[in-house]
Amino acid sequence: MIRSIEFRAMNTPVMLAAEGEHAIEGMYAAKLFIDDCEQRFSRFLPASELSELNRSAGEWMQISDGLMEMLQQSLKFYKETDRLFDPSILPDLKQAGYDHSMDEIRTRGVRAPSTASKPTPRPAFDEIDFDLPEHKVRLPRGMQIDLGGIAKGWIVDRAAHLLHTYAEVCAVSAGGDILFMGQPSDGMNWDVYLEDPRNTTTSLLQLHIPSGAVATSSVMKRTWMQAGKVRHHLIDPRTGEPAATDWISMTVIAPDILIAEVYAKALLIAGKKGLPELLRTRPELIFIAVDPEGNLSGAPHWKDYIYELTSDIRLSHESTR
Amino acid sequence: MKTLKFGLRLWITITSTISFLVGWIMLAHAPKPSPLLLPASNTASLPTLEPLPPLSGPGSDDHSLQSQPLFGVQPSFRPSSRPSFTTGGS
Repeated sequence: MIRSIEFRAMNTPVMLAAEGEHAIEGMYAAKLFIDDCEQRFSRFLPASELSELNRSAGEWMQISDGLMEMLQQSLKFYKETDRLFDPSILPDLKQAGYDHSMDEIRTRGVRAPSTASKPTPRPAFDEIDFDLPEHKVRLPRGMQIDLGGIAKGWIVDRAAHLLHTYAEVCAVSAGGDILFMGQPSDGMNWDVYLEDPRNTTTSLLQLHIPSGAVATSSVMKRTWMQAGKVRHHLIDPRTGEPAATDWISMTVIAPDILIAEVYAKALLIAGKKGLPELLRTRPELIFIAVDPEGNLSGAPHWKDYIYELTSDIRLSHESTR
Repeated sequence: MKTLKFGLRLWITITSTISFLVGWIMLAHAPKPSPLLLPASNTASLPTLEPLPPLSGPGSDDHSLQSQPLFGVQPSFRPSSRPSFTTGGS
C-alpha cells in the first residue's frame, strides 16, 4: 500500500508518497530535509544562504554543496537554453511587483513599478565566478539571483533520492514538480492530473507515468495586479517583463526533474516561434501545451501518456515540431 | 368594629400560614443546586502523544536523522493505496 503525507513548504503544497516497511520514516526524513532547504534557499528569508549570497555580490562567498550544485546546474541550463532560463532576473521580478512571497502579495498587494530610468545593463549570468576547490562563488556586482523553480526541482530531486533510500517506490511533489521513483507494486503507473490553468479546481486530463519527472509552468497561477495591469511571475529574460506567451501552461515529462522544470519554463517563454530551436538540444522531451482556449498540443507521442480525458477539450493532431 | 378587627386578624393569620406552607412545600420540592467546579488539578489530564519511533533502517549519509522526533505541525497522513498527483505550476 502506498502511504502519503501532505504539508505546505516553499509557499506551495507538497506531497510525499512511498511504499514499504520504512515508508513513514522515510517521508518524515524527507519532510525535514525540505523544511531545512526552504530556510536555506528562499529569497524571501533575509537569513537564508541565498539572501546572503545576493547581499555579497562583488565578493567571494563560501557556499554549501547544495547551493553550489544549484548554481552549476543553473549555468549549464542558461547556456543550453540560450539564456531563456536565467536566474539573474531577480531585479526584473521585483520591478514587476514580486518582491514578497505570493502569500503576502495576495493579502497586501504590490507596490507600483519604479518610474526611475532603467539602470545600467546588468552583468550576464555566465559572468558568475566559481572557485570549486574552496567551495566559493562570486556574483558580479549588480547581479541578484532568484533560483525559484530550479531550487524547487533540485529540492524535489534530493528529497526523492533521500526517500528512495527508505523505500524503493516513492514520489515527491512540490507545487506540481513531481519525481516518481520506481513503479508501484500493483503494477500500475502513477496517476497525475493536469490542472486546467484557467480553472485550477478542475483538470484537463489524467496522465499515467511509469516513473520519471513531470513539471508544469503556468502564467496563470502566480498573478497579481500592478498599476492596473495583470502581471505574472514568468519573466522573459530578453525583455525583463512578464513573458507574452502563445500558451498559458506547459507541461514537460522527462527522466530528470531539473530538465522538466527548466524546459517547462523555457518552452513556455520561447513560444511557437522559438520552440523548434530550443528542442534541438533535447529532442526526446515530451511536452503538453495548453492555449488560452484550453486546446492541447504537444510533442509526438505525448498522447501515449494520457490515461483519460477529464474534461471536454480539443486535442490538436498537429505536431508542434 | 370588634367584629371587623377579629375578621381582619383571622384573614391575616390564615393567609400568612398558607403562604408559609406553600413556600415550604416549594422549597422542599426544588431541584438540588449543581456542585461547584473542581479545581484544575483534579481534572483528567490530556492524553500525551507518543513521540515518533527513532529513525532506523537504511538512512543515508549527511541527511540521516537518527532519533530526531518530528516537531511542528503534523502533516496530514493518508494511508490511501493510490495517491493522486496534480501538476499545474505553482
